[in-house]
Amino acid sequence: MILVIAEHRGGKLNRASWEAVAAAQQLAASQPVAIAVLGSNIGSIATELAAAQVQEVVTLDSPALEPYTPDGFTAALQQAIDQLKPSIVVLPHTYQTRDFAPKLAARLDRALITDVTGIKLEPRAPSPELRFVRPMFQGKLTADVAPEGPAPHIVTVQIGSFRADAAAKGASAAPVRALAVTIDAAAIRQKPEPPFQEARQAVDLSQAERIVSVGRGIKEADKLPVAQGLATALHAELAASRPICDAGWLPMERQVGSSGQTVAPKLYLALGISGAIQHLVGMKGSQTIVAINKDADAPIFEVADYGIVGDLFEIVPAMIEALKA
Amino acid sequence: MKIAVCIKQVQSRDSQPRLDEARTWIRAQDAAFEMNEPDAYALEESLRLKEKHGGEVVVCSAGPARVAQVLREALARGADRAIHVQGDTLAAADAFVVSAALAGAMKDETFDLILTGLQSDDQGFGQTGVILAERLGLPHATIIMDVQVSAGPPATLRVKRELEAGWFQWVGMPLPAVLTIQSGINQLRYATLKGIMAAKKKEIRVAAPEAVAAPRQRIVALYAPEKSKKTQLIGGSPAEAAKELVRKLREEARVI
Amino acid sequence: MQTIAFWVLFVAFIGAFAAQVATRVRLIAAAPGAFALDDMGGRLQRFLVDVVLQARTIRERPLVGLAHAFVFWGFVAFAGYTTVEFLRGLGIADLTETRWFFAYRVVLVPFATAVLGGILFLLVRRAVFRPATLGSTVSIESIVIALFIATLMATFLLAFNLDEASVAGRVNWWVHMLVILAFLALIPASKHLHLVLSPVTVFLKSPELGRIPNLDFEKEEIGLETVKDLGKKAVLDALTCVECGRCQVNCPAFGAGKELNPKTIILQAQHALLAGERDRKLGEVFSEKVLWQCTTCGACENQCPVGIEHTPIIIGARRGLVSNGEAPEYLGSMYNHLERRKNIWGLGYDQRQKFVTSAALEIFDPAKHDVLVWLGCAGAFEADFQKSLRSLFDILRARQIRFGVLSKEQCTGDPAKRTGNEYMFQELATANIDELKAAGPKKILTSCPHCVKTIGEDYRRFGYEVEIVHSSVFVAGLMRDVRPAPTKPGAHETVTFHDPCYLGRYAGKVDEPRELLTKFGGGNVELKEPVRNRDNPFCCGAGGGLLFADKEEEPGSRISDVRFKQLQDTGAGTVVTACPFCSIMLKGAQTSAPANNVQFVDLMTFVRDRHITKSPDQQIP
Repeated sequence: MILVIAEHRGGKLNRASWEAVAAAQQLAASQPVAIAVLGSNIGSIATELAAAQVQEVVTLDSPALEPYTPDGFTAALQQAIDQLKPSIVVLPHTYQTRDFAPKLAARLDRALITDVTGIKLEPRAPSPELRFVRPMFQGKLTADVAPEGPAPHIVTVQIGSFRADAAAKGASAAPVRALAVTIDAAAIRQKPEPPFQEARQAVDLSQAERIVSVGRGIKEADKLPVAQGLATALHAELAASRPICDAGWLPMERQVGSSGQTVAPKLYLALGISGAIQHLVGMKGSQTIVAINKDADAPIFEVADYGIVGDLFEIVPAMIEALKA
Repeated sequence: MKIAVCIKQVQSRDSQPRLDEARTWIRAQDAAFEMNEPDAYALEESLRLKEKHGGEVVVCSAGPARVAQVLREALARGADRAIHVQGDTLAAADAFVVSAALAGAMKDETFDLILTGLQSDDQGFGQTGVILAERLGLPHATIIMDVQVSAGPPATLRVKRELEAGWFQWVGMPLPAVLTIQSGINQLRYATLKGIMAAKKKEIRVAAPEAVAAPRQRIVALYAPEKSKKTQLIGGSPAEAAKELVRKLREEARVI
Repeated sequence: MQTIAFWVLFVAFIGAFAAQVATRVRLIAAAPGAFALDDMGGRLQRFLVDVVLQARTIRERPLVGLAHAFVFWGFVAFAGYTTVEFLRGLGIADLTETRWFFAYRVVLVPFATAVLGGILFLLVRRAVFRPATLGSTVSIESIVIALFIATLMATFLLAFNLDEASVAGRVNWWVHMLVILAFLALIPASKHLHLVLSPVTVFLKSPELGRIPNLDFEKEEIGLETVKDLGKKAVLDALTCVECGRCQVNCPAFGAGKELNPKTIILQAQHALLAGERDRKLGEVFSEKVLWQCTTCGACENQCPVGIEHTPIIIGARRGLVSNGEAPEYLGSMYNHLERRKNIWGLGYDQRQKFVTSAALEIFDPAKHDVLVWLGCAGAFEADFQKSLRSLFDILRARQIRFGVLSKEQCTGDPAKRTGNEYMFQELATANIDELKAAGPKKILTSCPHCVKTIGEDYRRFGYEVEIVHSSVFVAGLMRDVRPAPTKPGAHETVTFHDPCYLGRYAGKVDEPRELLTKFGGGNVELKEPVRNRDNPFCCGAGGGLLFADKEEEPGSRISDVRFKQLQDTGAGTVVTACPFCSIMLKGAQTSAPANNVQFVDLMTFVRDRHITKSPDQQIP
């Protein structure tokens, strides 16, 4: 049986849980898949999860499991795994998972392979063996990793590697049952305070997942709304290269570069930015870089993953339209 | 405060790693090595805590003889002494093996706080610190942005965890504890001339790995990924190019 | 009677002179280090030009310099006269009645007139016109000295008209002698000590501009921390300063409104030395903030007429700070980049490899290649500058020069050296020298002037000597036999050339770039010169680590902004650069400046676009 551990916060199911379900279903072949969810008063979350095509949804419902603590979750999951005896446990590779999964693995002395982007089945005698594919060396190499030692093996899947909408839904709701676990609340050493979003600075580009950045190509301050429109459509933060902030068109907190912020978002969209090195060093760590510039020779194209040589005032509105679809 | 920092020596981020004969690890000869970057931030945090609360910083590392280089670097930046758990196979070993080796050498010293980087630049599993905490029976927290110590007694810790999408959380814990430190939380100091000279006189205790744990994973194959980092220029009319770009960002890059 | 009186006065005033000189000599003797005496030929030549001919004093301020030159030559000429009169006064010998002495006096008359004219001109300038470089308050001491000099000349000239034996004649003589004695006593306690010191200082000045010796780590040298760490030459420099302000006026930081003032640095050192503040930290004497505003352009040192070397003092003080971990934050991250990635931007080495592959560069092999091309940080990692290098490669290939690059290159260490991180510099330098020795080039070619200085001069101190030239010099040499480009009708453009500090000033190469511009511009290009040019350019603001400091600076007050305005004011539509960092800084200034159409082009691209049109293997016209 493949066991998926779902994640939620503040009463909302984390979308990444569906990705883990999809991964588990791919792995499963003929084995059944079950989902476990931990917390307190999580009935509605369990119901939501029951829509998946799985054998069952088990809840580990205890006041000691809310809020999340690694001590609490490890204790509960140790008992759950002892009772359910899965062969593989699948979790989404979230901040929370990274916090407790290694502790659980050490507690059980069982293999844990993290940040998996793919799963292979190698034909071997007597039975095919699973290989978990994951990046190494900062993405420069890819590794096929095999777990060692007895089951269960624990696997965390990289966010976005498996598609949430690929998780098969069941014809009818799966059964939900509560699993009996005893947690000694006094033994939990962590005392978490409520999570919060940073209000210290109005703009913190270093936390942004997507950034739309403008350079001299925007020409005038009153053309900025064009870029802002794209930022809004992408749920992105607006940033700029030095000349824009020097001119006062955007505040200094939005400057990206060696004399401004260093950012590493998932998506960095550079509009009308030439890519002078002082700017590049501030954003070269971005996962995906898109450049739109009139000048085909602009250095920004050297680092971009995707580029369009053209007029941003024509391309950006077209992008906003395409995003609506 | 007695603080331990576990640092790993990894192959320099610079060069393209070259595969060894078996194609299950990288070639160590002719490779350049450096301190794992997240561990450098953990070291910096420990030095700041020492400056604030007094005490000593002990750096620990597990690996072959060449690992002494990063220990010296750490000493040059201000760590007081070092522990080198020496073993040739430890460089490529998994977190279960390495954490057992480190725990064996560290368990006799009563550390108030143990810091590691959140993951290594080579394997990047992000497990060693947490497994070490479990082995030593200590509470832990991961991906920490800020560390506050109250002297007490009893001495307690309040740490700021990084969560997804710009969320954070403060967590209270008793000492001793283990923390894995997020990169970029502070400004790394450079090794000063005086520090480099002083480091030559500081102690590096070499220990053989006592506890031998069973490995829990095996790298079966290591290879270059198919996707290469080349710029894709999208042509066509502005409307066409825009549409194609949005499609690629959705389906290929998967960032929207 | 008179003789006895004279002796008493003589002993008293000479005593005062000697005592004060002794204090200062003791300060020099107590200072660590020794004076370097290499390149005797160069030193003697410079002594002749700067001291005897007063070239440096005249060059920057012709009228004032000439006036001073008259005063100086007059002093020298009068030496014999003064000696004879003293011998008479002391009753040792009386040569005043001899015929040759009379002839001598007649010859001295034009000198005296020139001195009198000169000193009066300078006095009026100082007291009435009050130029800013001389400070905000009028120095009484300077007025007094000027009046002394005037009096001396006046009494000399008067002596021709007075009977020596008469009361007037005797009074005139006594006034003359007393003024000399008073002058002697005043010299050591004022900037007029330069009369004694400056010929020595000029002679002892390093033949190399901005000479920064290695620190010896075996001896645990860490740089200049306190006043007592200032070396012998630095102490001599501090005592020699004439407060003329040429360094101040030429300093780009000062010119951009920053607090750094090289003249103030030297005078602060002087003050601290004379006050005996041996243990006072230099970071406090100079104020730390100011020390980080220096781009190491060398203008101060180059303009100084009395041989002061400002650069080793500033960089020495930086070393003291850096060794203690007190470098500013932006330098801390630069050092981390240098340590981990061996380049100032912390970029991955595979980017250099990408460039080497895409430009089809070969790895240097002395059997196959004539020159080694040193890419440098910018060449390896800066996409914009790589275009310039591609132009250079096209030119070299068109002229059948076989060249290769090193397989492994680290930053030369220039940014570490000039910001005071000597340890980092030596690590990078020794690694590079090993690679270079293994590769064994006879000649190195590079487009970065900083690399030229560092590899050409600083690496010598490790025992590695190689000929390294800037691309403008090499290409100018290559193109000597090429006929100038023809003039195309109707295509006219004005360009201006920004001399890089490390090329024009440090290396003294100012003609080769202009040769290339006029030859390949042909009749279509009009070359304009900006206000500060050739071997005295106004820095672009990148050197000394300031490339990374722009967070600290206000837009509009950056050194690069000031220089861009100067270039813009030439009216040229295009600025030609020959250094990657000048290009970065000035282009940055251009985008931050109010809307303008100034274009930039690198010198190599300028030449290539006009010499080689479509095909790289174009025949030489």
